[in-house]
Amino acid sequence: MTEKEISVQGSSEGSTTSNPLSRKLNKILETRLENDKETLEALKALSTFFHENSLRTRRNLRGDIERRSLSISEEFADVFSIVKNAARDQTADLINKTTDLQKESQKLDMRAKVADAFLAKYQLKTEEVRVLRGTREGHLHEDFFQALNRVKQIHNDCKVLLRTNQQTAGLEIMESMALHQETAYERLYRWTQGECRSLTSDTVDVTSIHCRAMEALQDRPVLFRYVLDEFGTARRTAVVRGFIDALTRGGPGGTPRPIELHSHDPLRYVGDMLAWLHQASASEKEHLISLLRMATAQRPVSESGPLDICNKYPSLQQDLRELVRVEQVIVAEPGPMVLYKLANLLKFYKYTIGQLLNKEAALTSTLSEMEEFAQKVFFNALNVLASKLVEKVELPPADLGPTATLSQTLSLLQEILASHDSSVVSMDLREQDFARILTSVLDPLMQMCSLSASRLNPADMATYMINCLHAMQTTLSLYEYTDQRLEMLQAQTDAHVDTLVNEQASFILSRTALLQIYSIALQHKPEEGPLASLTGLNTSAIKDGMTHFDGFLATPDNYTLPQCNFLQSTAIREKIHQRAMNLIQGAYELLYKAIHNPDNQYQEPNSIMVRTPEQVKTLLS
Amino acid sequence: MTSGPYNYSYIFKYIIIGDMGVGKSCLLHQFTEKKFMADCPHTIGVEFGTRIIEVSGQKIKLQIWDTAGQERFRAVTRSYYRGAAGALMVYDITRRSTYNHLSSWLTDARNLTNPNTVIFLIGNKSDLEAQRDVTYEEAKQFAEENGLLFLEASAKTGEHVEEAFLDTARKIYQNILDGSLDLNAAETGVQHKPSAPDSNQANLEPGGGKDSCSC
Repeated sequence: MTEKEISVQGSSEGSTTSNPLSRKLNKILETRLENDKETLEALKALSTFFHENSLRTRRNLRGDIERRSLSISEEFADVFSIVKNAARDQTADLINKTTDLQKESQKLDMRAKVADAFLAKYQLKTEEVRVLRGTREGHLHEDFFQALNRVKQIHNDCKVLLRTNQQTAGLEIMESMALHQETAYERLYRWTQGECRSLTSDTVDVTSIHCRAMEALQDRPVLFRYVLDEFGTARRTAVVRGFIDALTRGGPGGTPRPIELHSHDPLRYVGDMLAWLHQASASEKEHLISLLRMATAQRPVSESGPLDICNKYPSLQQDLRELVRVEQVIVAEPGPMVLYKLANLLKFYKYTIGQLLNKEAALTSTLSEMEEFAQKVFFNALNVLASKLVEKVELPPADLGPTATLSQTLSLLQEILASHDSSVVSMDLREQDFARILTSVLDPLMQMCSLSASRLNPADMATYMINCLHAMQTTLSLYEYTDQRLEMLQAQTDAHVDTLVNEQASFILSRTALLQIYSIALQHKPEEGPLASLTGLNTSAIKDGMTHFDGFLATPDNYTLPQCNFLQSTAIREKIHQRAMNLIQGAYELLYKAIHNPDNQYQEPNSIMVRTPEQVKTLLS
Repeated sequence: MTSGPYNYSYIFKYIIIGDMGVGKSCLLHQFTEKKFMADCPHTIGVEFGTRIIEVSGQKIKLQIWDTAGQERFRAVTRSYYRGAAGALMVYDITRRSTYNHLSSWLTDARNLTNPNTVIFLIGNKSDLEAQRDVTYEEAKQFAEENGLLFLEASAKTGEHVEEAFLDTARKIYQNILDGSLDLNAAETGVQHKPSAPDSNQANLEPGGGKDSCSC
């Protein structure tokens, strides 16, 4: 043993680590069993069932231990399975609960999301509420309109809610949105009104925010109109100020000169004022279009379009009426000519400005009224003139020509018609006036002529009337739209020409002493017996007449009715002469046939009436 | 938001004058619509067109009053000279008579507009070279003698039309900048928007212009 130890020790010096056996031995030797708790414990446990230390028992020890271990394990397994079952029973409940809770939690999550989405859709953000409320005097910005649109959108979306079973929520939200809207519109209205009130400079500085405001206000027609009224009032101030400047100050340094400086020239004065108004209307219309450019995009133009412009400037008209002194100019009675031109000028501007504004615009109707007024005064002036014509009837002059009054009146008429020709008014409008002017002037003129001719003998009267009518015809024939009048005048002339032709023919017949012979022969009937036997129709009387008639044939001009020489129209004079000669020739032919008729028992008819009707015709033509 | 057509800092008023048939309305139409209007009817009294242009970075709205050339409207059209910042005086290069009448138009323009009104002489129908009746040199000399701007243009082809309207505006704008046109006076034919709403950069310059005016 010792040797072994020594050898082990000796060898351990060289190969302690390399020899496993020695290592193992060392380990065993070094073991202090009394200190090894595990070993002690094992030995203790062993002693509980290992009572007899014998070879046999020692051999069986391993099997015993294993058997023992197995039984302990089985016992443990048995016990554990009981525990396991009990545990399973207990946890199943827990797991169910957990699952339920998880589901619940998911549901709640979903609800939370829905609620969030709902709130996002149906509630305003605090930021938006703040923007909508704003401070009382605060300026509006783009975000205000976005918020306002949101409110509107939510309000609209609530209608969907009302159709579902969420009516209470829908109604409540609508109510709260309506409140927001009211506050917002109130603020919008105050702001826009204030802004519009300040737009009184020459040029309107319309910003995009103004336009947004007008667009938004469309949903509140009453407020919309109030704001437009406010705008109108502001613009009225600007326009009136500009107009007064143009009237009294003119341009820089007085050029162009103030309009008032031309007040002595009614046409220029009124024309300048109206042209200024025309230009101002165009500018104001643009301002309004620019203000409403977004508002009108969504509704028909006719409803609140810019064409309403002047209706939005309600009180402007009052000022203009006072400022535009057209009426004063008219009342000053500048004479029919100027009145007429004024009426035409007004008519022109009514048309021109009317193109810019709509028919109902106050400015257009004011112009209409002024135009009618000018027309009325013009026709009054004509009527006054006309009634003077009839009141103070002059006697026809010795030459039976038109009186001075007639000539003067006609030259006025001519001036009017001529100015009509160069008028700024369109053709069809002119025609209407024509008939009226002609009636107002020509009818009294005709009346005047007839009155002054009333005491004349037929030939004088016919001549005088023909001369007067001719003067009128000459005046009218130069102008359009007078055809009807000319026709009437011609018919009247024709009647007087007939009279004069008859007068001329009788004049010749009586001067040649054939008048009585002719009229008896004309009325003679065979029952009265032969013509030769009638008094005054014997051969010598007829021969005597024929001698005179020869004298007439030799110098027909000497037998012209003196009045015919007073006829101013050569054409009419010629016509009357020709027709009278035809009558004479007819009378001669009648006599000739009567004399040559054997029934009338004239001896040698060829010696009584030497010339055949053909010869007379040739001589007279 | 499109506020383009409403965004401008100035309004200039123009008037177009000249004999009947020289092409006043066609020039206006070419300028505003960029189209030639064949068979243009006679103008009745006055008509007007607008267009926004840009001069030195400034948006300017031109309000152009086109007058009737017919003699019978002369009395009416005279009332429209008042308050024009620019007057375009037009004659027809193929009709000498329209050129000969220029002095009478010029007299009207001088008497009835304000002293700063820019008068631009336009010889229209420059496309009808074969029928030319008034030489360029002659008209140029007339323009120089009378201190007018001058171009020959064609409403038909559009040649120089743009230039005539724009050069006039440039000259007016120049007058505003150098202070010879006082914006505070009435009837200058120029309206100034105190602040252009949507373009801050455009605000800077007229401010400077205004300062120089008010002193």
